[in-house]
Amino acid sequence: MMIDVDMALIISILASTLRRTVPLLLAATGGSFSMRAGVIDLGLEGMMLAGSFFSIMGTWLTGSLWIGLLFGVVSGVLFSMLHAVMHINYKVNGSISGMAVNLLAAAMTPLLLTIVYGLSGKSEIVESFSNFDPDWLMNIPFIGPILASQNAIFFIAIALVIISWIFMFKTTFGLRMRMVGENPHAASAVGLNVKGYKYFGVAMSGALAGLGGAYLSLGQMGMFVKDMTAGRGYIAVVINAFGRYNPFGALAGSAFFGFFDALQTIFQSVLPSQLVMMTPYVVTILVIVFGLKGGRAPAGTGKHVED
Amino acid sequence: MEIVRMEKITKVYPGTVALKNVNFTLNEGEILSLLGENGAGKSTLMKILYGMTEPTSGDVYYRGEPIDFRRPVDAIEKGICMVHQHFMLVPAFTVTENIIAGSEPGKNGFVDMKEARKVVKDLISQFKFNIDPDTKVENLSVGEQQRVEILKVLYRKADIIILDEPTAVLTPQEVDDLFIILRRLRAEGKSIIIITHKLKETIALADRVMILRDGELIRDDVDPSEVSTNELSEMMVGREVDLQERHPAKNIGEVALRVSGLTVEEDGKKKVNNVSFEVKAGEILGIAGVEGNGQTQLIEALTGLRRVNSMELLLNGEKISGTSNKFLRAGIAHVPEDRTSMGLVKEMSIKYNLILGYHREDDCCDSRGILKRKDIEEKGNRLKTQFLIKAPSVDAKIEELSGGNQQKVVIARAFSHDPKAIIIAHPTRGVDVGAMEYIHQQMIELRDKGAAILLISADLDEVKTLSDRLLVMFEGEIVSETMPGKLSDIEMGLLMTGGRSMIEGEL
Repeated sequence: MMIDVDMALIISILASTLRRTVPLLLAATGGSFSMRAGVIDLGLEGMMLAGSFFSIMGTWLTGSLWIGLLFGVVSGVLFSMLHAVMHINYKVNGSISGMAVNLLAAAMTPLLLTIVYGLSGKSEIVESFSNFDPDWLMNIPFIGPILASQNAIFFIAIALVIISWIFMFKTTFGLRMRMVGENPHAASAVGLNVKGYKYFGVAMSGALAGLGGAYLSLGQMGMFVKDMTAGRGYIAVVINAFGRYNPFGALAGSAFFGFFDALQTIFQSVLPSQLVMMTPYVVTILVIVFGLKGGRAPAGTGKHVED
Repeated sequence: MEIVRMEKITKVYPGTVALKNVNFTLNEGEILSLLGENGAGKSTLMKILYGMTEPTSGDVYYRGEPIDFRRPVDAIEKGICMVHQHFMLVPAFTVTENIIAGSEPGKNGFVDMKEARKVVKDLISQFKFNIDPDTKVENLSVGEQQRVEILKVLYRKADIIILDEPTAVLTPQEVDDLFIILRRLRAEGKSIIIITHKLKETIALADRVMILRDGELIRDDVDPSEVSTNELSEMMVGREVDLQERHPAKNIGEVALRVSGLTVEEDGKKKVNNVSFEVKAGEILGIAGVEGNGQTQLIEALTGLRRVNSMELLLNGEKISGTSNKFLRAGIAHVPEDRTSMGLVKEMSIKYNLILGYHREDDCCDSRGILKRKDIEEKGNRLKTQFLIKAPSVDAKIEELSGGNQQKVVIARAFSHDPKAIIIAHPTRGVDVGAMEYIHQQMIELRDKGAAILLISADLDEVKTLSDRLLVMFEGEIVSETMPGKLSDIEMGLLMTGGRSMIEGEL
């Protein structure tokens, strides 16, 4: 009897781990595109937050979950373009233009909540993505129930990680994008359109971070809550560095963070909730201090051809 | 057969005329040396050929047809490629990735790595380059990195290869290897242009020499086998240049700098092993050696920049130890190995670079720690005039200056503070003949004023010409002490590469 209970607990922690992994994973994978193209990914938080808000608004307007999801992705891209234009065209320091995106999203979403819904703090509730739980899946022991408590975006996210990795490391476009990120002068000298690749990398970070943000709102609660990303975009920046700017590294890093995030559910009954809620941030600091050694960002990060 | 012809090329930049009516031809299968001082216009001329900039007037013909390159890529497509002085490589990529990036083999958007590796391997063996296609470029030596650059060019099927100052960063051994490679390329029918100001190398390598001076063509038909380096430098500078003549010290005084038992360990290896020597006042002591045999560690130990395992350093009998500031204060000046990374702050103006390290002294700074701007400006102007630093004003940034003028700023700073002893490393690396001559004169003048000079240089000619006494360093040890001119270049070369026993056996 004891063993059964523990098993159920393990399954529920792992299922919860995966749910908490998805938004981090999507944002961090997006960040790896941006970093590999040589643009710092500090705007992930804002792009995520935009994705959270606009995906709910899209579904609220159209009644369709999928169109809402598309709204989330597109809004992420639009916010990322602010970063891109400032940094790539006007050579604003990438950390500052990234922060500008974060500040804009943090200020704009509560304002729109008031304008669109006349509410402060949270939006109206819309439909949300339901779990993907066909009977055949439930019948697989252990793994079945874990996967059955995930929704469609989880499976999309896993597929995107694999596709992203293949894209970055196996295709011509990926090789060239990485060359731009490592040495824009060398890339330009062999005739590559450096700005184009940088724009692409940033746009991908916006799309994936927007999708990650949509998972938080549309994928879980069916509503937007003010500041609902709660620093996950920043954590994704750390995960991306931790995962050496590689989608699979991002997967491992996100799962690591997701696990500690999920542990909250257990410790909440034992420890004061304020302490427990610190967990992901404490883990972030520990990773920054101990986990980033030996890692190296693409050498051309923040450099322009004209320098 | 003529492959490139440039007619009446003029290039005007705001404020200066870089090229005046220059005609240029290149024949198939020749090595052409484009010789000139910094600012003579040789780089501009090549940038026009390579499509990096457009001429103000004039025409370019390639295989008889007029061409108008707008971007380097246009030139690459026609088979005109450039090996840049500052390598265009990605250190984190493998050799193969570096070579193929931008024109990869493969289909459907995927890179065919197998095919790429095969092509690169074939190229490497065809030209006997001896590089592993799967190593990361960051693990290669400078000479090997240059070979990767050449491979990049060959992979793109270059017929004309322009090399911009290819030997500036190479050790003498690597220069020899490069020349073997370039001759092999010539034998394969490639046409090669090297932009350089090094005369010996020009004579050793080129089939034809073209000389530019102040944007004008001086000669384009010099046969290197019929001229001496002195004649070449005269054509290049426009007056007689004294680089080879020795000026032995006349009044050598007491021992000024005495170093004993210097040992420096790095990564568990003894980079400098129990080295002792002394330099007398009014003497230049030269240290010859192939780079990487402990010179860097030696220099840093003698200037207080590095913690040593053991050393006793006496300057005029007084023991000196501690931080680099203490060494500087005691009167040991330093002209560092690499002016851009250690000698100067390139974003800062000339006048502030001229006081770096000495900025706490009374003529720069008052008792409250506030810089005296007027005095600094005055001092800057005085040194700029005295050391012939060519710049619009002392407020110009270092990065706007040529290599020779940058080095003059370093020299001015160190020499103007009346050092008792001075450690000078590679004083003329990457500077042109005119500046080289000037720097040598300054060193001799400083010596004759009674300073003890320790000269470390990879340029054997420089050490031989300037030194009053000569040490040879190999693997962290002093393997020989001699007088300049006593040993032949071959004997010196043997000493520098560890062949001591061989020489002693023969003598």
